[in-house]
Amino acid sequence: MQKRRLATLALGAAISVAVFAAAAGGSGAKSGGTFRIGTSSGIDSLNPYVAFNQDAYATFQYIYPILVQYDDNLHFAPFFARSWKASNGGKTWTFKTQPNAKWSDGQPLTAADAAWTINTDIKYQGSGAANEAGLIAHITRAEASNPTTLVVHYKHAPGNVLGQFQQFFILPKHIWSKHTGHKGADLKTFPNNAPIVGSGPFKLVKFQKNEIALFQRNGSYWGKKPQIDAFGLRQFSNDDAMISALKAHEIDALETVPATAIKSLRRAGFTISDVRGLDQTDFIINSNPKKKKHRELLSLKVKEAFAHAIDRKQIIDVVFLGTATPADSIIPAPTGPWHNPNLKPETFDLRLANTILDKLGYKKGSDGIRVAKGHKMSYDVIAPTSVGSITRTFQILQPDFKKIGVQLREKALDATAAFDLMSGPNGKYQGFDLAMWDWTALIDPDFMLSVTTCAQYGGWSDSAFCDKTYDRMYSQQQLTPDQNKRRQIVWKMQKYLYDHRPYIWLANDDAVTAVSPKWTGFMNTPQGPFNELNISSLTSVHQK
Amino acid sequence: MRGADYVIKRTAFAVLTVFVALTINFALFRLAPGSAVSNLSRVPHATQELRQALKRQFGLDKSKGAQYVLYLKQLVHGNLGISFENQQPVSHNLWIALKNTLPMVLVGTLFAIVLGTLTGVIAAWRRGTLAESATVTTALSFYSMPTHWLGLMLVILFTGILPTGGMSNDFLINPSFWTHIRDVASHMVLPSLTLGLVLYGEYTLIVRSAMLETLGEDYILTARAKGLTPWTIIRKHALRNAMLPIVTLVALSLGYIVAGAILIETVFSWPGIGRAVYDAVLQRDYPMLQGAFLLLTVSVVFFNLLADLLYFKLDPRITS
Repeated sequence: MQKRRLATLALGAAISVAVFAAAAGGSGAKSGGTFRIGTSSGIDSLNPYVAFNQDAYATFQYIYPILVQYDDNLHFAPFFARSWKASNGGKTWTFKTQPNAKWSDGQPLTAADAAWTINTDIKYQGSGAANEAGLIAHITRAEASNPTTLVVHYKHAPGNVLGQFQQFFILPKHIWSKHTGHKGADLKTFPNNAPIVGSGPFKLVKFQKNEIALFQRNGSYWGKKPQIDAFGLRQFSNDDAMISALKAHEIDALETVPATAIKSLRRAGFTISDVRGLDQTDFIINSNPKKKKHRELLSLKVKEAFAHAIDRKQIIDVVFLGTATPADSIIPAPTGPWHNPNLKPETFDLRLANTILDKLGYKKGSDGIRVAKGHKMSYDVIAPTSVGSITRTFQILQPDFKKIGVQLREKALDATAAFDLMSGPNGKYQGFDLAMWDWTALIDPDFMLSVTTCAQYGGWSDSAFCDKTYDRMYSQQQLTPDQNKRRQIVWKMQKYLYDHRPYIWLANDDAVTAVSPKWTGFMNTPQGPFNELNISSLTSVHQK
Repeated sequence: MRGADYVIKRTAFAVLTVFVALTINFALFRLAPGSAVSNLSRVPHATQELRQALKRQFGLDKSKGAQYVLYLKQLVHGNLGISFENQQPVSHNLWIALKNTLPMVLVGTLFAIVLGTLTGVIAAWRRGTLAESATVTTALSFYSMPTHWLGLMLVILFTGILPTGGMSNDFLINPSFWTHIRDVASHMVLPSLTLGLVLYGEYTLIVRSAMLETLGEDYILTARAKGLTPWTIIRKHALRNAMLPIVTLVALSLGYIVAGAILIETVFSWPGIGRAVYDAVLQRDYPMLQGAFLLLTVSVVFFNLLADLLYFKLDPRITS
């Protein structure tokens, strides 16, 4: 699930943003040059209505205007919107936008572009603009009362207006309005090839899929000017080659450093930044209340026993080489105040796990495997091959589960086949018992909390959790504009999930990045340096 | 007349093979679990309407039979369809990937053919000597090496000396034509070398074996008795008569060039067709897969047909 957009759009974390070295613009700062970043991820499409990968959305952050962004403390900060206010009980939001802004082709950029993008997404949310549907939820219409005033009208007063707009890219009306034919379907077929008309600090001037994205400083940008002339994102399909390229100074930084390479890069003089990230691995228990087979897995006591059979410390030490922390909630700790601090990871206690299962009357057979409701507690664990850490993690879980009389078998499948099996047949979630995967959270908790709602069957749901009480709380937090009150609901929802355990959270891995000592100001965040939080990293990086 | 029959039969068989292969390609990918729709409809607040819209857009709401007929109709018009993943014409996607792959794989394959033929000839001519055992042992060693392992060893060995990833230095600003050519050539050395080293062993063994057979013939003895130089004997008598299995192997190798070399492309981050096909498998991008495998089928069949026709030229006994 992870590499997909809104799952990855995630980010967020901790309130701290690590800065590699001196702040940009300090004394001795040298401007100019091309900053070359190596990545093992990639840009799948330059069309916001088609793209899913995180790097594609980070790219849009740098080339398109956005109403708000996060500051270095992950609070909302003005961007294309210089100020905003809510009225009409939170059902109307008015944004004052940047005056005298221009698109890179010289056309004026005004609030009318923002209104057009919002209205277009509303109109075609069931077809060509479906990717953006979640970002315009509850909006009825938008209008530009003058070139610098955007007014957005909502059906209900929502709780996460700014969180949604932080991910919303404003498109140039004079370009995109020609591509709404076939009832909006043409929005998806417009290739939006480089050079792209945008209005961010950089222009995307060259793009070759699976190879390179090259960005040049945008001279007509209305905000703080970057110090570098250009930056490039070079894609590698092999980590060893990427690390070799860094050591040979063919590139200047790595977006993500494999844990195994941290020591050698540090020894070679590269600056390593390691901050807690937003990605979490999980152990999924099919919690479909209508599940037909192995219904003992719906028992909260069985789930609790499983949770005590997981040795998170060993997973972190062996699989992540220490670059992770034990996870405890669907909302990871680096999201700051949204994470419920009262939740703690379950202790690794095989004796306790055995006692719980004994009390349920599930006795061990001669082969050491327990029998529950007339059948052996022997299960397949679906393991998507796209998540590199899963197989090794499974090898740690399997012997511990055997010690509590539960047999696990790994069933490795590619991501598409894995989700098909889990959600099938026909979105009824009858095809699996257990699985492992990962999620990357957003800073705003709405999306992560949505994946365990009944409405996400066949969509993002991978645990088949469906509970009316939980769904009510979800709707409630969505429509609670007061962020303190909303946080209380969000904490309550996390506790509810913690007790019902559709997921047992395993490890919250770090965002680790490396940069050449010749550069400074390249900022790491819980989502890495090339992220969707803000544009700080590449506007402040410069040569020493 | 006999020759014309042979050509017509072979060509008809090739066309039939392509048709059967494209039918199998159509069915095969649809048997894999999962679909592009379930992938692409995994967006927050996705609705059934969205899934239906995607199905309609991809033509997956139609019966398999109707999809097949539509696919054939498109093919007749030279249309390979639109990629599910990036919504671009498959022919465009394939061309981009193919033009990256062809030079690298072609250089590697030619290197293997030349080196393999040379070492095979040496091994056969110097049979029973240290030269033969050294040549055969080296060839077998490379032949048995896992491709990705050899690639990684070369990456480690040549870091800082040669480029270890990518197809060119993408950060060069407006390079001249020759600078660009030099740049691409330097990037091509390691992936092509990896491919060539893994492939050449097979040529060594085949050439050696074919040469040993011909070197035992009476006409070789006669040539020696006439006092011809070793080079003349090899070139004019031995190698020429050992060409049939070599031509087969060369044809097979060339046929597979369009398939790329997925492991090598992955190790060296070469943006070629092997990786494009792998991505398409993960995305269940049926049009892209069908297009890529059709291309591969046509290429393999074409080069096999060419080999068949060359047999006809090289060995007239085939038609008798």
